[in-house]
Amino acid sequence: MIGIYRIAEKNIRIDSVFQKVHDYCIDYRTDGEPDFTVTTVQDDIELERTRSKKSGTETYYPDDYIEELAVYRKIAEKMPEYDTFLFHGSAVAVDDECYLFTAKSGTGKSTHTRLWRKLLGDRAVMVNDDKPLIKMTDKGAVVFGTPYNGKHRLGKNISVPLRAVCILERSHENRICRITKKEAYTMLIQQTYRPEDGAALAKTLMLIDRLADSAELWRLGCNMDISAAELSYNTMKG
Amino acid sequence: MKLNKNFLVHKTGNETIVVPTGKANFSGVIRGNETLGTILDLLKKDTTEENIIAAMRREYDAPEGAIEDDVRSTINRLKEIGAIDG
Repeated sequence: MIGIYRIAEKNIRIDSVFQKVHDYCIDYRTDGEPDFTVTTVQDDIELERTRSKKSGTETYYPDDYIEELAVYRKIAEKMPEYDTFLFHGSAVAVDDECYLFTAKSGTGKSTHTRLWRKLLGDRAVMVNDDKPLIKMTDKGAVVFGTPYNGKHRLGKNISVPLRAVCILERSHENRICRITKKEAYTMLIQQTYRPEDGAALAKTLMLIDRLADSAELWRLGCNMDISAAELSYNTMKG
Repeated sequence: MKLNKNFLVHKTGNETIVVPTGKANFSGVIRGNETLGTILDLLKKDTTEENIIAAMRREYDAPEGAIEDDVRSTINRLKEIGAIDG
């Protein structure tokens, strides 16, 4: 199965075993000439299944779903060549500025951006709820929507300049403060896709440095009340 | 012994950071100061603990035993996470 998709300004030809990944990526379809190709075969699917078992996933998923993950991994391995990397977080845009919330799985990134939508209505646009791509440009970081936007499929095929990265923690009381690159650095690395290829990882680390130097960095301790979104939005918008 | 090829040394500001590639079985990072950076620079080529201690002694002025302790604990930590071969 073959299709071409434009993701983060690159035309990617996907050559897969199953149809499902093409249905998944349908909003990103293009007729343009491919910049590169990713090919998955049955072995890639088995390897991806082993990886997800290693990371603690016990549920059995069908091959065509696992192939979707394998395809995105291959895309993420290639993207550092184009100054672009995959970041685990929930990205929401307001007034054409993107705010990227990141935390370990289960902390409440998606819950917090849902509160932003509740607070701001249509002004809050989901760019990607799970795994956006970030491109470093001369003007700073730009966040791209991708088909891989989480279990609720929240996201759009758009790109928005990144204003801030906010590290989220659970807390009874809501509080927010600016943090330094040094304070944010471990989390930034851990939330970034780390390529298997050493050169691609070295490039990714340079891109993270540029991200940390260009975006505002914040730490938010929050509960699930709407007041958490009021505090984070009102403080970060300045 | 030598630094495993699935680990990268990244320097930013005055910090040295050891970052695993996606192939490594370790998914955290190790952060440290210039001393960690020097030890890792020495581990880019095949070496021994004694050679590292000797090289560190030439570079740093420290009380008796301090360099030895630093080098040993750093190497042990790097071995734990699979960042050192041999």
